[in-house]
Amino acid sequence: MKTYTYTKSRELFKKATDVIPCGIYGHFSPAPLIPVSDYPFYVDKAKGSRFWDVDGNEFIDYMCAYGPMVLGYNNEKIDAAAAAQREKVNCGPAPGEVMIELAQEFVDTVDIADWAFFAKNGADMTTFALMVARAKTGRDKIIRLKGGYHGTAPWSQSPDHHGITFGDSQNIVIGEWNNYEALEKFLHQNKGEVAGIISTPYHHPTFADNELPAEGYWKKVEALCKNEGVVLILDSVRTGFRLDYGGSNEYFGFKPDLIAFCKAIANGYPISALVGTEEMKNAASNVFHTGSYWYSAEPMAAALATIRELKAINAVGRMHDIGVKLGQGLVDLAKEHGYNMKWSGHPAMPYFRITDDPSLMLHQKWCGECTKRGAYFTSHHNWFVSAAHTDEDIQQTLKIADEAFKALKSK
Amino acid sequence: MTYQKIRAGINLYAVIKNLEDLIALDNECNQLVRESVISIQFKVKNGPKAWINFNKGECEVGQGKIKNPKIVLWFSSPEHLNKMFDGKANPIPLKGFTKIKFLQNEFTQITSKLEYYLKPELIKTPSDDYLKLNTRFTLTVAAFALSEIAKNDKKAKITASHIPNGKIQLSVLPDGPAVYLTIEKGVITANKGKTNNPDAVMEMKDYKTANDFLNGKSNPFKAIACGEVIIKGQTPMLDNLSLILDKVQHYIE
Repeated sequence: MKTYTYTKSRELFKKATDVIPCGIYGHFSPAPLIPVSDYPFYVDKAKGSRFWDVDGNEFIDYMCAYGPMVLGYNNEKIDAAAAAQREKVNCGPAPGEVMIELAQEFVDTVDIADWAFFAKNGADMTTFALMVARAKTGRDKIIRLKGGYHGTAPWSQSPDHHGITFGDSQNIVIGEWNNYEALEKFLHQNKGEVAGIISTPYHHPTFADNELPAEGYWKKVEALCKNEGVVLILDSVRTGFRLDYGGSNEYFGFKPDLIAFCKAIANGYPISALVGTEEMKNAASNVFHTGSYWYSAEPMAAALATIRELKAINAVGRMHDIGVKLGQGLVDLAKEHGYNMKWSGHPAMPYFRITDDPSLMLHQKWCGECTKRGAYFTSHHNWFVSAAHTDEDIQQTLKIADEAFKALKSK
Repeated sequence: MTYQKIRAGINLYAVIKNLEDLIALDNECNQLVRESVISIQFKVKNGPKAWINFNKGECEVGQGKIKNPKIVLWFSSPEHLNKMFDGKANPIPLKGFTKIKFLQNEFTQITSKLEYYLKPELIKTPSDDYLKLNTRFTLTVAAFALSEIAKNDKKAKITASHIPNGKIQLSVLPDGPAVYLTIEKGVITANKGKTNNPDAVMEMKDYKTANDFLNGKSNPFKAIACGEVIIKGQTPMLDNLSLILDKVQHYIE
């Protein structure tokens, strides 16, 4: 099987570092792509479940743009809906009618939603959620959980990071995933001080196995929050519309007060949303939070079309099934080659790790071997599957994975 | 005060540590102490303690106290020690007045040579040999400075507490100097050389790359993305480590 080279990617990166800090910053940075020599840096085009890099190499994509791609790249239905709206108006002096249609779609689709508010990125919404919780309760403290990711706003970063001060996290308390007892104790000891708790529906940190909620965990947290007057905020930026149309919380059987969405809601068009219960609506109205492009109508039309299409084709079911085929296939294949592949998280967002080497070096090597043969795998982050992935993709991926396991042994 | 204390720790535990390699690798310095059997104790009030032992062409530097030192140098504060390193103050000898000649001659020549090797900005066209020693010494300073910063700097303490227990290997390829760090419950311990089964690895592909990287002359992201610096394993350990490494310059400037 041919392995890829990335001459043009590297040339572009060198140019980029002259004019862009880090060349490629943030979650697209090449730094965690290990071995870096096995990965492309720049994409040229994409269609369906695949993308082509600037060197002409073709990949089956298991990162899906780190989540936004859910119905396939360049999906014709979604692009047509976006184009139709763009021809009318995108950025205008007032919102388009589509904004109300989209809010109604969220209210009709997401179980707890009585209203929806739109912005651009996940962090816009997680930050807004904190503001709403504080406005609602008149309290300052927010609990977030260790290893949870809610964007890069200063409140969501550790104070030892560059550009962050101790003041930025003054009212942020760090809790622990699945530790109900510690949460209960803290809330009892700090009665009337905590405005909200923000958490993902299950624990999906980087560089570590993903963890589902313990039996009864969310129900107990929901009840505790109700009793203590604490706003329960669900960060469903990554999981939204991949686990359940009604909200990832429905998948785990609990009801938060606020849910932040982004990524999968518009198949790559830039939009995020916060939805909430009637009880939160006045507080959300009182908080001033806006941005230059938050009223862009084109992404709203794309989001409307995406949510409708997701439901129409049973995308959640498809992603689950394709994820199971991928996960089971890789676990079995690893076993045939004498390795133990641990599969954690939801099938639509699986995290894999070869456990035979706890340093991750073996797993990194295998992911790199797969990538340079055309299955784009990262070793540090959960993967994503989309409704555009096919059985043929999975078969080809497993062939690539088989070759990669052989390559591990030959080195 | 914290700044002076951390800087004093770096001077005594990280900078002076390089005397071991200087005596082993620099012929001129080796000749100076070929016959010397002498130990020096550094004592800093409210600050670090360290010792240097010269033994017939070999040198060992350690933290804490050494038995029966021939010379004891006392400093009234960490700031006093740092001023001496800047050439702006003298130590107070408490013991070893008969050995003052060694301090004034051989020891001064050796420490001047170390300073020469640690200041590449003063050299117009450094030779390959200079580059190699500067790289080795800079790597040692960085590694041993980390534990001092992690112990006392307010933000670095948080960072260190986030590093999982384990070992990190830093090496210059193909067969250049290496150091490794052991992390246990947020305490970082530096050692020279290589360790078995590190949890995370950072390899610099050659001396030139390492020199630029360690002296802040290259863009770390570019170096990693272009494969000049290779990282692998539990990279969150390296991410956190780099947050502390970024502070080294602040304390040694």
